[in-house]
Amino acid sequence: MSIDKTVNVYGALLVLLGIIIILTPWIIFPVCEMEGSYVVTAAGAKLPMTCGWTARAETGIGALIVIAGGLLIARSTRETRQAVGIFTIAMGALVILFPTLLIGMCKVATHPCRMTTLPALEILGVIVIIVGGYLVWKPE
Amino acid sequence: MVLSFAIIAGTLFSAQYLAGGARQSLENGMNMMGADIMVVPDKYAAASQAVILTGEPTTFFFNDTGFEKISQIPGVAKASPEIYVATLYGQACCAGPVQIIAIDPNRDFTIATWLKENPGVTLGKDDIIVGSAITGDIGSDLLFYGHTFHIVGRLARTGMGLDMAVFTRIEDAYTMANESGVKAVRKLTIPQGMVSAVLIRTEPGSSPAGIADEIKQRVPGTKTLTPNGLLSTIAGQLGGITSFLYGSTIAVTLISIPLLGSISAMVAHEKKKENAILQALGATKSFIVKLIMVESFSLASIGALTGIGIAALILIGFQDYIAFTLKIPFAIPSPLTILVYAGSALLLSVVIGGIASLYPAYLITRSEPYETMRKGES
Repeated sequence: MSIDKTVNVYGALLVLLGIIIILTPWIIFPVCEMEGSYVVTAAGAKLPMTCGWTARAETGIGALIVIAGGLLIARSTRETRQAVGIFTIAMGALVILFPTLLIGMCKVATHPCRMTTLPALEILGVIVIIVGGYLVWKPE
Repeated sequence: MVLSFAIIAGTLFSAQYLAGGARQSLENGMNMMGADIMVVPDKYAAASQAVILTGEPTTFFFNDTGFEKISQIPGVAKASPEIYVATLYGQACCAGPVQIIAIDPNRDFTIATWLKENPGVTLGKDDIIVGSAITGDIGSDLLFYGHTFHIVGRLARTGMGLDMAVFTRIEDAYTMANESGVKAVRKLTIPQGMVSAVLIRTEPGSSPAGIADEIKQRVPGTKTLTPNGLLSTIAGQLGGITSFLYGSTIAVTLISIPLLGSISAMVAHEKKKENAILQALGATKSFIVKLIMVESFSLASIGALTGIGIAALILIGFQDYIAFTLKIPFAIPSPLTILVYAGSALLLSVVIGGIASLYPAYLITRSEPYETMRKGES
């Protein structure tokens, strides 16, 4: 088992990307509920808008990406790197699919979630997929 | 070096892309509206521009029915009155904050052109044709001021305020207003016989500017908006950011040329022995110079493509936010235009790379391989 410093760098990058994905819908580019917009039911209860549920899902995915990065730092063998790479590609795809297809964002084009959170998550998802692809492809 | 080229190409591409996107959007919108002049009440000129350019919903009317005189002015081929109504936001009676534009189907030429291109669609009672950014599928209903409208068509994206507009017939707008006292949380009043704006199509060969002046004289209290005027407004709104980006490009370019030249010279100095060995093995000086230039061009190309790629990703991803923040209409320019912008940014970087490699190339041509190797320069 050899320690690969570049793999550790990519592990740290994944941890960083995971944290950014967690923070994006809540702090960096907040979704509508962080701006005070909720769905109000007839009974007066406040529920998160569609983008709020996406934000919660992205938090989970971001946490998994942090764990994947940590795994790569802790055990940087070829097998771990490739397994983490495949796992990372799938998670990158989910980062994009949650706000676009699986859950979605608010339908009104001028809502903050549509203008900022959505493109930010799409770009982050693409970066995660590229990092995952590199980990799978990386020559010895 | 790569970072410098990325910054130069990225900033130049961004400036061109923003200015081009605003122009493209205005072109799309004005083509769709089909109007050469838009006549609006003088005191609502800014609100009218906001409706057209960014789709900020508003309600206003002329004080009198003087708009009828407009169609009699020489050079006016068609005059189409429109009523603008902003819907209520956050209320159960309304689907969302949008601009309702009520048209007279007998005089209209904006939706009429679209209807001609879509022969299966008719704008009947309580029917609406919605802009590209309006939520709701064709065939579904939308509620405005408690009145139910039926979506029968969707316009193509323009990047302008039209994307946030809903078109209906004037008589349906009156019905909606009459019912609003009972059905909506706030009563809507549309003064009978009053309109918000008049779109004008001029006769071929006539001067829109001359006709616009004539309208302002004959119908006091009016303001005329023309595509050129709107373009000037957009240029004013974009002026700050494009000047900043073009200024940054020039500044980074001016700083980069001597900096890159020095770095290239240092690299060439470090490679003196390597070049001397190549020359000793038979490589000509022109071959070595070409090698330096190719290396420089490669670095410039990699840097420029990276900068353009990152800029494009951000500009395309955040285009709605950028347009909203800068209060400009915005549409993605055509692929050919984007290629031209990217090509010019790439060309500038490659030219800078070429200029920066001239000094190290000159140093190589003056050096003697034997002397270099004898002195043991690395």
